[in-house]
Amino acid sequence: MSILMNDSTRVIVQGITGRIGSAQTHWMLEYGTRVVGGVTPGKGGTTVEGVPVFDSVLEAVKQTGANASVFFVPAAFVLDAFLETIDAGVKLIVIVPEHIPVKDVLKMRSYAMEKGVFALGPTTPGILVPGMGKMGIMPASLFAPGRVGIISRSGTLSYEFAGILSESNVGQSTVVGMGADPVVLRNLADILELFENDKDTDAVIVVGEVGGEQEEKAAGFIARQMSKPVAAYIAGRYSPQGKKMGHAGAIVRGSAGTHAGKHEALRAAGVEVLESPIDVAKWAKKHKLK
Amino acid sequence: MRLHEYEALDIFEQNRIPVPRRELVSDMHDALHAAGEIGYPVIIKAQVLVGGRGLAGGIKTASNPDELREAADALFNSEVKGMPVRKALLCQKVDIARELYLGMTVDGYSGKPVIVVSTEGGVLIEETAKTSPEKIAAIHIEPSFGYYPYQARSLLRMLGLEQKLITPWSEIIGQLYHIATRYEALIAEINPLVVLSNGALMAVDAVLEVDDSALSRIRFPLPDRVDRIENPLERRGREIGVTYVDLDGDIGLISSGAGLGMASMDIIGQKMKPANFLETGGGITADLLYRCMELIMMKPDLRGIFINVYGGINPIHEGAKGVIRYIEEHNVKIPVVAKALGNRQEETWEIFKSGGVHVVTEAATEKAVEVLYKLVGPSGKSDTGKPKTRAKRA
Repeated sequence: MSILMNDSTRVIVQGITGRIGSAQTHWMLEYGTRVVGGVTPGKGGTTVEGVPVFDSVLEAVKQTGANASVFFVPAAFVLDAFLETIDAGVKLIVIVPEHIPVKDVLKMRSYAMEKGVFALGPTTPGILVPGMGKMGIMPASLFAPGRVGIISRSGTLSYEFAGILSESNVGQSTVVGMGADPVVLRNLADILELFENDKDTDAVIVVGEVGGEQEEKAAGFIARQMSKPVAAYIAGRYSPQGKKMGHAGAIVRGSAGTHAGKHEALRAAGVEVLESPIDVAKWAKKHKLK
Repeated sequence: MRLHEYEALDIFEQNRIPVPRRELVSDMHDALHAAGEIGYPVIIKAQVLVGGRGLAGGIKTASNPDELREAADALFNSEVKGMPVRKALLCQKVDIARELYLGMTVDGYSGKPVIVVSTEGGVLIEETAKTSPEKIAAIHIEPSFGYYPYQARSLLRMLGLEQKLITPWSEIIGQLYHIATRYEALIAEINPLVVLSNGALMAVDAVLEVDDSALSRIRFPLPDRVDRIENPLERRGREIGVTYVDLDGDIGLISSGAGLGMASMDIIGQKMKPANFLETGGGITADLLYRCMELIMMKPDLRGIFINVYGGINPIHEGAKGVIRYIEEHNVKIPVVAKALGNRQEETWEIFKSGGVHVVTEAATEKAVEVLYKLVGPSGKSDTGKPKTRAKRA
């Protein structure tokens, strides 16, 4: 029925007592998400939006049976809180905050991989399963239940694609923001694999952008392992050339990163490349998606 | 934040990487004086934050005061890739037997730092990577364990180097890794790392780019990052906390999110030309969008404004209040089109409409841009209807 989240997902909100954490807890609850607790060290014993707040992740997990966590923790404290969350046994973590130092992200990613934790972000809008729940900040009004999966590097563009599909009466199985940072906690191909194995997803849209080599690497996975139709859009055709990480980056990545290079790699893998976001409606119609 | 070469060389020197004798100069008089102290021949290098500086004429050699006068005069009265030359680094010209390459960055896909070395340093290093991959070697560092000296030694052995080069070079790799760690560098690079005629190694260039997200916790003195943005509009963007990129079109853009902003540019670019890229990130308030309006309106020839925002983490109804406050206070006459969807969208639409903003309620940016296009027509024409600079396409 969905990837990553399902009806046994019990969510805690870290940083729940902050301005954004509490506002987003309200929206998550309103959408039907099972938010079972929140964590802010020093604020244990209080409640936010009727949700009990704990001083530590371990306590929250013990008291509520939580198995997933969404972060609204200030960037400087994310690494510490992330390690705490993994040590408390949580297996699905969504890191919404932006501006987390890359050095911290490298450590987070390494520890999550080692412990078999599925983490998304940083700078992600999170996960939304239409009609069931969401972990993160996606605005619910744009989404509708259906059978198309969306993976996006950009948060706002994931809303755009879902919105265009919903207006065309095409729903989504799960919408996943992988995070907009140069280093993210999970690569695109890992999320594609979940959609390929999900019996309630018929096709997948990849919303990428210039820079990095996620789309190029994913193209290899799609060519080898995906049976479901995949469409892709790459933002940034007219963008001034982004960071290429010096000569070392160019050497390690070869020609990866450019708009043209991404189009070429995706087309070679049999992906239908969309020139403009609105083309996704035609693509969905062509494949009779719902 | 990219540091200037002179700043990076100072940091390298403090961390025991050999660097040339040098002095920062800001005019010809300074340059001649410095060259007198350092001794001819010298190299004068423009301190501008662009890549490919040498090929663009930003580096010149002088073997006597007359040559230096000419070189400095040319340099200080020129732009390198559009950047004015305010400062130059006057360096001792060393005797080079061989040019090597050493660079470090973060490999986003594997999530690990990577160290790259080559026996063929210099401006054509990226070409070498394609044509002679055997002259390049790279090694990834495990973030949880960090760097150990054997990794540098085995990396250099992969290039088939002799031991008398491996020992000093691996020490420099260790020092550069140490710098990259302490300064949270996204790029640390020495190109070229030269072998002098006496066999010693020296870094004659230095690149260091610090992670902006880490600036507040780096315990070493760093220059102010806003100061060094040359473009005044881009500097203003940084001051108010948004990402602004100055472009040469006439349609102002405000978007909440980099991907959405890039897609908006692409769609505007199909029939019109964006005047800027502006991305607010997740911190929209009424005041922020007021200041964004102020910023994009600094360009005098704007013909229309497109606002493309989503209410996920952002309170777009607050943002709308800031936009209409600006429109009312400054009596904005050019068309403003807004697509604003998400949490509290209906309230947002009402606020926008009250200020005369054209509101689009469909998700596709193409449809909103079409509304704007109908109001303003194609870009690239001046007020008199004549094409600006670009020739008409057949």
